[in-house]
Amino acid sequence: MKYSGAAPLALLWALPLLLALAMLLPAALDGEAWRMALAHPQLRPALALSLSSGIVSTLLALALCVLLLAGLYRSRAWHRLQALAAAGLAVPHLAFAIGFGFLVMPSGLIARLLVGGDVPPQWASVQDPWGAALTLALALKELPFLLTAGVAVLSRGDEALRLRQECRAAASLGHAPGSTFLRVVLPPLLAALRWPLVIVFVYGATVVDMALVLGPAQPPTLAVVIWHALNHAEAAVNAAGLAMTLLLTAALALVLAVAALLGGRTRRAMHRLLTAGPSPLQAPRGLAAVTGLAALAVLGLVLLVIVLLSLAPRWPYPVLLPPAFDLTAWMRVAPAPLWLSLLLSAAAATAAVAMAVLWFETQAPRRDRWVIGLALVALALPQLATAGGQYRLFLPWGLTGTLAGLFLAHLTPVAAYVLIVLAGPYRAFDGRYVAAARALAATRLSAWRRVKLPLLKAPLLSAAAIGFAVSIAQFVPAQLITAGRFSTLPMEAVTLASGGNRPLTAAFALALSLPPMVAFLAATLLGRPRWR
Amino acid sequence: MPLTLTRRGFAGLAALTPFFMGRAQADGSWAEIEAQAKGQTVYFNAWAGSPQVNAYLAWAAEEVKARFGITLEHVKLADTAEAVRRVRDEVKAGKAGSADLIWINGQNFHVMKEEQLLFGPFTEELPNFALVDVDDKPTTLVDFAEGTEGLESPWGMAQLTFFADGAKLDTPPMSMMELLDLARDEPGRITYPAPPDFHGTTFVKQALVETIEDRALLPMAIDKAAFTAATAPLFDYLDTLHPYLWREGKQFPQAQAQVTQMLADGEVLMGLTFNPNEPANLVDGGTLPATTIAWQNRGGSIGNTHFVAIPVNAQSKAAAQVVANFLLSPEAQARKADLKVWGDPTVLDLDKLNPAQRGLFSRAKQPGSVQKPARTIPEPHGSWVPLIEAAWLEHYGA
Amino acid sequence: MALTLESVSIRLDGRLLIAPLSLGVEAGETVTLMGPSGSGKSTLLSFIAGDLEHPFAASGRVRLGGLPLDGLPPETRRIGRLFQDDLLFPHLSVAGNLLFGMPRGPHAQRMAKVEAALAEAELEGFGDRPPHTLSGGQRARVALMRALLAEPRAMLLDEPFNKLDAELRQSMRSFVFQHIAERRIPCLMVTHDLADVPPNGRLLLLKDGVVTHA
Repeated sequence: MKYSGAAPLALLWALPLLLALAMLLPAALDGEAWRMALAHPQLRPALALSLSSGIVSTLLALALCVLLLAGLYRSRAWHRLQALAAAGLAVPHLAFAIGFGFLVMPSGLIARLLVGGDVPPQWASVQDPWGAALTLALALKELPFLLTAGVAVLSRGDEALRLRQECRAAASLGHAPGSTFLRVVLPPLLAALRWPLVIVFVYGATVVDMALVLGPAQPPTLAVVIWHALNHAEAAVNAAGLAMTLLLTAALALVLAVAALLGGRTRRAMHRLLTAGPSPLQAPRGLAAVTGLAALAVLGLVLLVIVLLSLAPRWPYPVLLPPAFDLTAWMRVAPAPLWLSLLLSAAAATAAVAMAVLWFETQAPRRDRWVIGLALVALALPQLATAGGQYRLFLPWGLTGTLAGLFLAHLTPVAAYVLIVLAGPYRAFDGRYVAAARALAATRLSAWRRVKLPLLKAPLLSAAAIGFAVSIAQFVPAQLITAGRFSTLPMEAVTLASGGNRPLTAAFALALSLPPMVAFLAATLLGRPRWR
Repeated sequence: MPLTLTRRGFAGLAALTPFFMGRAQADGSWAEIEAQAKGQTVYFNAWAGSPQVNAYLAWAAEEVKARFGITLEHVKLADTAEAVRRVRDEVKAGKAGSADLIWINGQNFHVMKEEQLLFGPFTEELPNFALVDVDDKPTTLVDFAEGTEGLESPWGMAQLTFFADGAKLDTPPMSMMELLDLARDEPGRITYPAPPDFHGTTFVKQALVETIEDRALLPMAIDKAAFTAATAPLFDYLDTLHPYLWREGKQFPQAQAQVTQMLADGEVLMGLTFNPNEPANLVDGGTLPATTIAWQNRGGSIGNTHFVAIPVNAQSKAAAQVVANFLLSPEAQARKADLKVWGDPTVLDLDKLNPAQRGLFSRAKQPGSVQKPARTIPEPHGSWVPLIEAAWLEHYGA
Repeated sequence: MALTLESVSIRLDGRLLIAPLSLGVEAGETVTLMGPSGSGKSTLLSFIAGDLEHPFAASGRVRLGGLPLDGLPPETRRIGRLFQDDLLFPHLSVAGNLLFGMPRGPHAQRMAKVEAALAEAELEGFGDRPPHTLSGGQRARVALMRALLAEPRAMLLDEPFNKLDAELRQSMRSFVFQHIAERRIPCLMVTHDLADVPPNGRLLLLKDGVVTHA
């Protein structure tokens, strides 16, 4: 059982991924490609922009997340936080970027409300040279992900109970709730959020679609420069793009290493702060409530805007509501790609969860670092590079243009996310429950099915929902591997977006948001504990 | 147009020769090709950013199915370069082709031709090729100043066209200098997409054509030194223009579609396109107001032809040729040129058609149509493009 | 100062858990409350400490040194607590834990108190160790010292010896009661082990919501 448990994950996920990455290694040795890459006039500023937008958006999202958690921990609104996080997770990044862009751009809704007049003001609110619009949008979009991770840590069974007891102890030692959160809850919380923060940072620094919509162009982020290079018709330019990919990845690794080093160094200073003595610092209830409502308002407004955009052929400055509505955009949302996307994503999510569970059940925890590490690498590299490697891998095997190849290509990012999200809850599960069941003469499978599975319902469903949402939004792998034989919903959406038809893009973006929202809703409802 | 023995002229003649020579056998072998094509599936890799294009191709699919028993599948691309890369990878791996027909021109075509990734020459075998207006539309044989050599079949015409809301802009600028004046009057309200978006590159090329001292250099291959010298006036012009542009020329939109959207939203005064009928199309679709006007620069506007080509490893070569021929038929070309459908100008010579076929083409003007079409200025030689893109990036990229 | 309960009753979803109870605990005295599981003993301690949670409700009044504690949040009550688990903060060292509740002041002074407490608990030199490297008994001693270093005015013990093995129990008992007696603060303990009751300590029995003297 030991090795066969690891087999599906190894064969269907790790091996194709490693081989695909290996296909990229020749790029590291291609001197001409490096020469071309390093000579690119936008390289240095683009790299700086990628790193800054990644770092700032991550820190901002973390600050907002901690604020919300600190303010609402152990309060009545705690459960609502979970719902807010789930809602935010379901909206695809591209949809959020389009809606957010329409809010803040010079001819956008906020300008129409605040300034009016006949001609839009000349604000630099999107495509600004410091990437502020992109950074803010990234922070807002990643906040639900961090919140979900944080809520999971603070609500999870034994761990959460122990933390609550520790808070009681801290109160008896004279610390007000705010001080308790800061000194007792926050340190283990930050430790548990390490990997989600890494993902958020890496995503922010390598995102392409949001950067194309909101980020500057002269220069763009390095991810966009790479995107253009990898998309070029000439092979030499593609090779330079790969070299730049390796450079960006190395830069990200360096930033993470420095962050880890700084973390270690500040521990002593932190210890002094943590043990300074009782403090009357209150929980930031009011501020957290305001922030939470503001975040919800932005999200709601963005969704409303996308809905209106999908129904309006024109929405010129300065009218506040579109002058006319029609359904032409919605009528163009083709059913066949929708079904393919739904079925493919359901299959990928299920398979990923099953493989992950098999791994965690049969492998020792110390082996986790290999799969989690590989998963992080998979998510850190630009999809165009990993998917490009996969395409080159699949081509000789005849997997391109087939459903099997498409499935495998989707499985790569989905399994990566599922592994990362499931690792914590699965390993933290108290093995004594299963031991108790087995002592009552249940077989291993029976004990798993009747005791462990129901108790892990919530994290498993949540991981499946995340996997589903990730899968349904996949464009790059699908585009490359299908080689034109199939069409998924994101493929239709992106090709239409290249034509700039905004109502159509908005309609597709919404069509892409609905399945994950349903999945998250289902996960939340089905994952509720049987008794409160 | 005087026939001078420029390199372009030579290439044009060379491209025509096999057409004349192969003519005699055309009828016999064409019937064979049509027979072979029956039952085949053609994967037509074409940019799918426009619902109009997609709808037209859906119609074409129905037609070729009914007439020739061919299944036409529109493989939707966001960028033609995807298909180029795919064909290259497949040929390198010795795999059968996933693409049978590609909508292509310019840089992408040159790359495929140089790497010998194209099947052909085949255009002279197509019966409908005889209807193509090779005389008045020389770009049907010469793609970016290099001969097509029968490797790509013409499909439609393109010409740089500007458009704006006539209610906000009563005198459109009819030259790049007039554009500069307009920008001075309305600072921050004009922009163009950044190269290497091909509309942006074309905008720069138009400025190049209008500022270069020696136009004879354009159809010829050029090297970096000569380029830098020849483009000094161009970059002087752009340096003067940019501070009056949107965001003071420090930021540019990344794609033509974005500029169109900015125009629709009211953020900029004018947009640009390669399809002279796109503004009319947009008015029809409700994206732009009925007061939209479209125009081309008085002294001539850069234009080209776009083509379809067949990859060397295509699996359904016969059917692909039949489809290419169908796309050249008067019915297909007329429907394509119909403003209500797509509005893409035809490559055919209407004088070569019989009255019934000619009647299929409507000349009616619609809101947003170009009132006074200008003459077409052919594209400079393909070697200018990467140099323009690199130089633009150096000057304005960061 | 004395800890006084005036007609304190505890309800669960409307059902009466503990009938109105009036009780006074003198300074330096330890009163033990025994009762079956689920009888509401721990809930009573929660109420006194100030963090009674939904769905429990309580009425009545608690006074410490004559002053009522109504409405005061737990952190201002200066009432120390020991729980079944030692609840040492895992991310702080032993010294860090001891410093946690100690009133603010110059670092040297605070460290001196920590050293003194470590000596008392026979744990000299353990200051820099992380809690998980200590044995159960050692952790329990640290937990008590941590509570006492916060200079509480009363102590609440919630089955504090439950998780210790029999040998350890005895030594912990004497350790705890000796230190509490030294500081002359009232202490209310809840347990279900008769042997936990200190010699000469008052014992109360809670049965069916009613408290009676043993």
